[in-house]
Amino acid sequence: MPTDIALTPKDFKSDQEVRWCPGCGDYAILAAVQGFMPELGIARENIVFVSGIGCSSRFPYYMNTYGMHSVHGRAPAIATGLACARPDLSVWVVTGDGDALSIGGNHLIHALRRNVNLKILLFNNEIYGLTKGQYSPTSERGKITRSTPMGSLDEPFRPLSLAIGAEASFVARTIDSDRGHLTDVLRQAAAHQGTALVEIYQNCNIFNDGAFDTLKNPATRDDALLRLEHGRPYRLAPDAEEIVHDVEDPDPTAAFTLSRLRHPTPIGVLRSVRRPAYDQLMNRQTAGAVAERGPGDLAALLAGTDSWTVRG
Amino acid sequence: MTYVIAQPCVDVKDKACIEECPVDCIYEGQRSLYIHPDECVDCGACEPVCPVEAIFYEDDTPEEWKDYYKANVEFFDELGSPGGAGQLGLIERDHPLVAGQPVRAA
Ligand code: SF4
Ligand code: SF4
Ligand code: SF4
Repeated sequence: MPTDIALTPKDFKSDQEVRWCPGCGDYAILAAVQGFMPELGIARENIVFVSGIGCSSRFPYYMNTYGMHSVHGRAPAIATGLACARPDLSVWVVTGDGDALSIGGNHLIHALRRNVNLKILLFNNEIYGLTKGQYSPTSERGKITRSTPMGSLDEPFRPLSLAIGAEASFVARTIDSDRGHLTDVLRQAAAHQGTALVEIYQNCNIFNDGAFDTLKNPATRDDALLRLEHGRPYRLAPDAEEIVHDVEDPDPTAAFTLSRLRHPTPIGVLRSVRRPAYDQLMNRQTAGAVAERGPGDLAALLAGTDSWTVRG
Repeated sequence: MTYVIAQPCVDVKDKACIEECPVDCIYEGQRSLYIHPDECVDCGACEPVCPVEAIFYEDDTPEEWKDYYKANVEFFDELGSPGGAGQLGLIERDHPLVAGQPVRAA
């Protein structure tokens, strides 16, 4: 609910000293988010950042909004409760590839399936950073890390394919250091009703430095990236036929194909379809039940006769 | 807040800092480098690699070089926010504060 509140990026900086490794991509994402927040026109007390555990999950400390550094992998669950109980809030989840896809894999897919009004920012650096460099659910096969000295045997998750498979209504990808692109994707995610999943390629310069260099280097990025824009044509390969990108296509097939593509790597919004948001449905259902049957009585329910007897 | 390149960089310019910057916001002038105050994301990667300790966090800039904050800001008055130094390469001018420095012998 945009209002005429005039805030600046500075207003979204907290007084906490930022404690990521010097050069970490998280700084660039933080600066872009703080730069974008004033556009929302929402008072800081009506914005909440919920995180799980990991380097990225320090994010709420640095935002001068409400926030919660919560339980490993459980940020989507906590944020679901918040968004349902307080539909007036702007609720954001900050998570990483380990937090979202390994420890919290279940919570993530069910939040997406339900389409709760959340904006999930998934910082994907393809490594466990906080615990010092073990392979993560998005690390490529054969990756040598401290926990895979002879190379990882696991097939990595592709977060956007997973999200589309979990019925996500909004799926996008962007890059930490591309401020303009990242901001544009945040803008579209914020405007979406329901769960928006934004995968952000984020450089961990300590344990997985340069993972996205070909996508960033001005000499290689034009060939390595497929910049998606709604209504604009793209090709899956140089000699393939042109397809007009339609984020609103109810059939997820084209978006799924894009989510599988590696060369070139698509960035931008892959899918953005309208579907009722869970919090709206839930609150409507509750209001309907109250109108029909009157407000409930919790004490009476607890002391009621509808009970089970457990026999030993 | 931003990081600032101060007087010790003038005529040194070894560019170690450019390698480290994750957002490519350190621009090369004729005699010094300049950090874009709006593009810098305060990550602190450049500061420890500078061999002559020319880079400071804005608030920690030594008193004698406080004006370099303005030099870094004003250098971009004409350029705006190009969003990446690599594509521009050498910009053949300097802020007057830098241009007015005596030439440092190599
Ligand atoms: S370990 Fe990696 S992801 Fe974590 S703060 Fe350091 S650079 Fe960033
Ligand atoms: S590392 Fe220091 S001396 Fe070298 S270019 Fe950067 S600021 Fe100048
Ligand atoms: S602090 Fe980080 S973003 Fe700013 S100039 Fe230095 S390396 Fe670049």
